[in-house]
Amino acid sequence: MSRSRAIQYYILARLLLAPLMLWTIVTLVFLLLRATPGDPVDAVLGGRAPDSVKEEYRQRLGLADPLWLQYLRYLGSLLNFDLGTSLTSQGQKVWEVIQQHFPATLELASFSMAIALIVGIGIGALSASKPNSSFDVGGRLFGIVTYAIPMYWFGMILQLIFSVQLGWFPIGTRFPISQPAPPTFTGLYTIDSLLNGNLIQFFTTLYYLALPSLTLGILISGIFERIVRVNLKQTLQADYVEAARARGIPERRILFAHALKNALIPVITILGLTFASMLGGAVLTEVTFSWPGLGNRLYQAISERDYPTVQGIMVFFAAIVVTASIAIDIINAYIDPRIRY
Amino acid sequence: MTGFPFFTRKIPSFAKYFGLFCLCFLLAVSCGQRPNASGPTTTPNVATTSSDRLIVGTTLKPRTIDPADAYELAASNVLYSLGDRLYTYKLGTDEIIPQLATELPKISADGLTYTIPLRQGVVFHDGTPFNAKAMAFSLDRFIKNGGKPSSLLADIVESVKDSGEYELTIKLKSPFAPFPSLLAFAGACAVSPKAYEIGPGKFTPTKFVGTGPYKLVEFSPNFIRLDAFDQYWGEKPPNKGIDFQLLSSSANLYNSIRTGAVDIAYQSFDPGQITSLRNQASSGNWNAIEAKGNVISYMTLNTQSEPLNKPEVRQAIASLINRKLLVERILADQATPAFTMIPNTFAVSKPTFQEAYGDGNITKVKELLGKAGFSKEKPLKLEVWYPSGSAVRQQVASTLKEYATQQLEGVVEILPQTVESASFFANIRKGVYQSALVDWYPDFSDPDNYIHPLVSCSKGSAEQGCQEGASKSQGSFYYSDRMNQLIQQQRSEKDPAKRQQIFSEIQDLLAKDVPVIPLWQSKDYAFAKKGLEGVQLDPIQQLPLWEIKKV
Repeated sequence: MSRSRAIQYYILARLLLAPLMLWTIVTLVFLLLRATPGDPVDAVLGGRAPDSVKEEYRQRLGLADPLWLQYLRYLGSLLNFDLGTSLTSQGQKVWEVIQQHFPATLELASFSMAIALIVGIGIGALSASKPNSSFDVGGRLFGIVTYAIPMYWFGMILQLIFSVQLGWFPIGTRFPISQPAPPTFTGLYTIDSLLNGNLIQFFTTLYYLALPSLTLGILISGIFERIVRVNLKQTLQADYVEAARARGIPERRILFAHALKNALIPVITILGLTFASMLGGAVLTEVTFSWPGLGNRLYQAISERDYPTVQGIMVFFAAIVVTASIAIDIINAYIDPRIRY
Repeated sequence: MTGFPFFTRKIPSFAKYFGLFCLCFLLAVSCGQRPNASGPTTTPNVATTSSDRLIVGTTLKPRTIDPADAYELAASNVLYSLGDRLYTYKLGTDEIIPQLATELPKISADGLTYTIPLRQGVVFHDGTPFNAKAMAFSLDRFIKNGGKPSSLLADIVESVKDSGEYELTIKLKSPFAPFPSLLAFAGACAVSPKAYEIGPGKFTPTKFVGTGPYKLVEFSPNFIRLDAFDQYWGEKPPNKGIDFQLLSSSANLYNSIRTGAVDIAYQSFDPGQITSLRNQASSGNWNAIEAKGNVISYMTLNTQSEPLNKPEVRQAIASLINRKLLVERILADQATPAFTMIPNTFAVSKPTFQEAYGDGNITKVKELLGKAGFSKEKPLKLEVWYPSGSAVRQQVASTLKEYATQQLEGVVEILPQTVESASFFANIRKGVYQSALVDWYPDFSDPDNYIHPLVSCSKGSAEQGCQEGASKSQGSFYYSDRMNQLIQQQRSEKDPAKRQQIFSEIQDLLAKDVPVIPLWQSKDYAFAKKGLEGVQLDPIQQLPLWEIKKV
């Protein structure tokens, strides 16, 4: 079989597996929510509502039906691309909740990913290029520490130093409440403010984005640092690098032009997985910084036992992770000739 | 050459652009204001709060601001600014005064019909004129839409009718003396008939059209914006509007007032944060405002469970509680010891538990438990349940355990037990717990609201306990014919002196039967930036924002 045909089969297989992955996640989320203590009707109507009212509400929402029936109904609505209606934000469709909050999460995740890649690859490359030096020790330490530090703790510490003590950055939220937010085109304030031609709004957005994205970005960067360091170190010992050195090519050029590109292949591979941790980290970062994103809304929905909203957001996150994972696999299949199918 | 032209050719140029971008960003950031001597300002050029608008930081996010469905503190905070009710409270007191009514109601001799004259010249935020029809529509909607607080009026009101252009007639199902207080509930406000519908579940959670001093401009997930209503019938607010900044953690709220990012920080802080902000108020850029709260924390005892079905055991537990210790150690004096379920902000409040048992009266505990047959050899084992999310209640249970161990030499063994809050509140009415630590947030300001919803019972017997009614839902399963009679009497009694006498008897009976043990009455705190005038905390209307002016 030719390589291009093999890749096509591989892509087809990955695409066919995607619904299965999604179904597994959907089922797990559905079951875990039902296994969690707490009645959503109690959470919505409060403890003082009469039992008859609660029963009527439970019937109306279908929560009185057997679990299997609720499950089938839920799968049916998902197949119709219907994520349901929020129990707590009355009448609001879960899809609207996602549309309302996701741009803030996407903006935060994008900037955090950029920071994670720059910091992680930079420190990883520096460590690998000077093995066993103080840079290397520092880099390794950075990788371990950022991997181990709890997200909310780090966020609070940064807030304490840079917001409270130094007064350099705002405490939280996405945009100053005393000013009108950029007009909504994409929902991403950085882009919207540029499209609006308003540089003050653009820099204000960046200013509010800085601390949360640094928190998330720095903590995620540890993963990249470790991978880049290990791979680059191995690559720098490879024969073709030695050959390049023998040809008198400067070390800096060898590092960037020859070795780093190969060392970055595993980074692309784990981008998909990192994206999943990025979304998980976004939940904690958003709560720590009062960032009005989907993670914050998910946290609120969990505490309110808002089943449809939790399920809808989780399915949405799962779809993103699965899509990102497949996209990375496909890109990888094209760029890494060592991959076999 | 195969491979990645991007990495070989673009990285250096990308690095240049990125470096340039970082430089611009740092320049933009560093152009802002720096912390000054009077306290740091976090938001250079972009978030200064120097306008005539107020920024109020809070962690309480309203689920809805539809008055017919809103039943949480978060919503009432906003609704008091947005809507007018027939009656309100004179600030700082529980005295009822007319708001959209022009005088107190005329009550028929049988106590069932209330005739209320209404104010003229009032308009809703959408321009619709206010009249009796609109008010009747608003109260009808509150009852018929079946929202969370609907039972407050639905259980009491028979009908609401406009008996004239500016006269409203309300008929009750049975006499209910504190009815005007109930009409002062935040959700009982007038709403525009043009903007709302009557029908079960027909709510508008993110919109509001009423007659209050502010109108709603925007309700978003992280802020709520109100503007002063320029056609307001009453005295116009001295500020131009309110921006509620909804924060996700008390730590954010704490930092926000410290850095001046908000003008006022209100609800909810941890005790440690309140202590810190109070201590730093003199050197910081904010003032601390403290007021008596109206939330009562108490312990409910399951009167149908062994051995708490014996009154002397319940009385022994009441004697064991050392409120002074709890308030000092756990609440950092941010509460006052409570010796009755009715807060001391009401004249009828009578500290009957102090009179009967004192505070941490170990001699009495031993005596009562001895009578009930408990000793070192046969100790009383008491499970104290609390929701896992509450650090304060966790500390209360642990402190009680240690206190009993130290003082009673093994006669009482307290067993703190925790469960996730949703399960806790679902199980409490099932009689699963021996005792539980809970809080009571009143719906309206009347002593009845601290008695009827907690210890009344509509169906039951002294032997079997409460089978249907409030005391069952609160987990005490307390049933007393006498208590039910007294509750009914005070609800029908129009003479305040006689009503006070009945409440006195109710509180005596509670201290004798001990289905619940009052622990403490909260204090309320707000922190306001220096330079604000008129900031005060009201025990009922919380933070009257329409009184605050920036100077």
